Amino acid sequence: MFTQLQFDEKRRKAITQCSRCGFCRAVCPIFDLTKRPITNAHGKIILLKEVMEGKLPATEEVAKAMLRCTACMNCTVNCPSGVDPQEIVKAARRDMVGIGFDNLFKAMGEVVEKYGNIYGEEKRRDWGHRKERAPYLLFLGCVGAYREEESVKETVHLLDLLKVDYTMIDEVCCSGVLEDVGYKIKEDLAKRNIQEIQKTGAKTLITTCPYCYRVFKDHPSYKDLGLEVKHITQFLKDFDFQVKTDKKVTYHDPCDLGRHAGIYDEPRAIIRKIAPNFVEPRRTRENAMCCGAGSGFRGAFPKESVKIARNRLSQIIEDTGAEILLTECPSCLHNFRNAKRQKQKIEIYNLTEFLAKLYGERTSGEKEAA
Amino acid sequence: MIKKLIEIVGQDNFTDQLEELVPYSYDASMNVHRPDAAVWPETAEQVLAIVKFANEYKIPVIPRGAGTSLSGGVVPIRGGVIIDLSKMNRILEVSIENRYARVEAGVVCDDLNRELAKHGFVFPPDPASSTVSTIGGNVATNAGGIKGAKYGTTRDYVLGLQVVLPTGELMRTGSYTMKCVSGYDLAKLFVGAEGTLGVITEVTLKINPLPRHAMTAVATYARLEDAGKAIFQTMTSGVIPSVMEILDQVTLKSIRDNTDIDLPDAEAMILTEADGFTWEEVEAQMEVVLSILKQNHPIEVKTARDEKDRLNLWKARKSAYATLARVSNSFVLDDVTVPISRIPELLVGIQGISQKYGIVVATFGHAGDGNLHPQILYDEYDPDQVKRTKKVEEEIFKLTISLKGTLSGEHGIGLSKASYMTLEHDPVEMDLMRRVKKTLDPNNIMNPGKRALD
Repeated sequence: MFTQLQFDEKRRKAITQCSRCGFCRAVCPIFDLTKRPITNAHGKIILLKEVMEGKLPATEEVAKAMLRCTACMNCTVNCPSGVDPQEIVKAARRDMVGIGFDNLFKAMGEVVEKYGNIYGEEKRRDWGHRKERAPYLLFLGCVGAYREEESVKETVHLLDLLKVDYTMIDEVCCSGVLEDVGYKIKEDLAKRNIQEIQKTGAKTLITTCPYCYRVFKDHPSYKDLGLEVKHITQFLKDFDFQVKTDKKVTYHDPCDLGRHAGIYDEPRAIIRKIAPNFVEPRRTRENAMCCGAGSGFRGAFPKESVKIARNRLSQIIEDTGAEILLTECPSCLHNFRNAKRQKQKIEIYNLTEFLAKLYGERTSGEKEAA
Repeated sequence: MIKKLIEIVGQDNFTDQLEELVPYSYDASMNVHRPDAAVWPETAEQVLAIVKFANEYKIPVIPRGAGTSLSGGVVPIRGGVIIDLSKMNRILEVSIENRYARVEAGVVCDDLNRELAKHGFVFPPDPASSTVSTIGGNVATNAGGIKGAKYGTTRDYVLGLQVVLPTGELMRTGSYTMKCVSGYDLAKLFVGAEGTLGVITEVTLKINPLPRHAMTAVATYARLEDAGKAIFQTMTSGVIPSVMEILDQVTLKSIRDNTDIDLPDAEAMILTEADGFTWEEVEAQMEVVLSILKQNHPIEVKTARDEKDRLNLWKARKSAYATLARVSNSFVLDDVTVPISRIPELLVGIQGISQKYGIVVATFGHAGDGNLHPQILYDEYDPDQVKRTKKVEEEIFKLTISLKGTLSGEHGIGLSKASYMTLEHDPVEMDLMRRVKKTLDPNNIMNPGKRALD
């Protein structure tokens, strides 16, 4: 089968712009693991260049190679030639699906459509907080709501402690991730979310998941949302917290929050208020290494994904010697917790979860003192 | 062949799948050719078994590090098996008391330096690709970098090697000592050999104490001639700056037009640095350099000593490659090198050639050691531009040789410059090079087709 892909001028330019310097090797989490050039940004761009020039047929293997990217954007910010490989890869995934190379996310799309979440879970935990109207609305997202429930419970509790007047909706998957992996966002689900959100009269939508944040903020299907969208770290940055920890704390920048959304300072502003003993990992902010979960990679390659998380976690521990690793992304949290080895003493939390725990410790401390 | 290679390295460390071989058909030059297979050995013994087998069946083998070569050095022009050494990336020994580090060939240059920095030491040659380039690759191309004038190139730091010879033997050569005149200096024969004589599997490198302080200065000149004089006078003043970089007018204009870096309209910019153990030492050197920079009619001179200001002065130089890479879809980046005093002639000559063929050439590079990087910008999909680019490159090489220079200061010959070897090397020397190659590699399996050796 020799199927040719169509490349428009913009795509051609992006592909030919790669000078094959190979600098992306230093920052690609998948290459770091495999040492195989095909898994690296420049390897994938070379494949597409050959497809574009008619030297290589668009094969099943090309389609598979395109799936091996977490869209972490670390290569983008470090590319001397100004190429954004993850955009090229995502477009190629759509193209490959378009010419008949469906991937395993086709089934996920069907599951999302049927169940309203990526896991096909029929039942959703009742998180309470169902006011008819409130100024703030908290949106949890699939990974938090179905896979990191304990963490979400603490986050919800924190907002209560801070006396935030908020509500939640009968949310369904934002479904933005489908566009990353070759398919289309589910317009019906987007409409349902928009309707439910608007019914509450909320002025601000707060998301715990950085990916949901990006979808609500930037995706055309949510353009009629008509309210302010904030990631929970943006929302909380100006709050005063009555708690502190003496423990050595470090922070992992989620790719979706950092490189994709440019939110680096807000989580740090919060951490500095509560943890005077805060240390940065060596690779941090724009240069933070990916946890390995993003852009469908964990779904498609679970074993490699957890190995990447293991590498990142070990590196953070080695760099910082921290007792507490904070992040604010349900996917990063989930991947790190799966990756953590028993002998590793570090505790891993979402920042909001950790805050709630500190409040909890304070309360129990007060009780004991009494 | 497949069965045997899998037997040696294991199923997971072998591939002959077309798609996976595609990236191995390239480096950062414009050369392309498919290999037949690729392997990721994890030990020198595996490399030995691969080479033994390849020699028996006369299959080409191409050792490869990060594949950042700009000359086609790792492009498998005759097919064969790529030996990717990336998985052999252990730092085996750091001996501060004996001033050496022993590493596997696949260790990344910056990873080594991060480890050495913990002890206050450094492996000084710093190619632009040091975030990814491997020590094995650095040795095979005798990689240089920005600090060549004061600290030399990789060759000056190689004490010993472990090499798999093309005929299927494992050899240790060189020493662990600061001095050694015991027998022929075979280790150096493999430095810069571009993988044509054997597969380097382990390297013992001399290391230096890390300089504690550095000061940076930038000077811009309306006339190239004045910049040339400033360089020449500095390099003969008794001070050897750790950095002495030059950016030409085309490069400066490109940076000015495509970034927000504020630069004057100048024919040349010099970026220089002095480093040392104490501030007194640094300042004494910088005083001499600054007075020379100022005597030669600069537009302006700026200095910096703290990290933030230094990075600011480095901005233009650091953005040169990136800016130029975005201007066109393709480029050739050469590394011609001339005796230091001939730099202005080379720069002027390159501009003449550029105008003659209507192809943009931006030049920057390491003025302190005479090594310049003309970056020839063109469109690879325009056959006429490709043709003119070839002519430009050829004339730059001819000009360089006429100035008593060399084709390659730090990238190597590979495929791109192979046809120009006889410009620089007379028949006697070419013949000896070919005899050396034939003696070590009688079946011509090691990275064949490179440097006009066969």
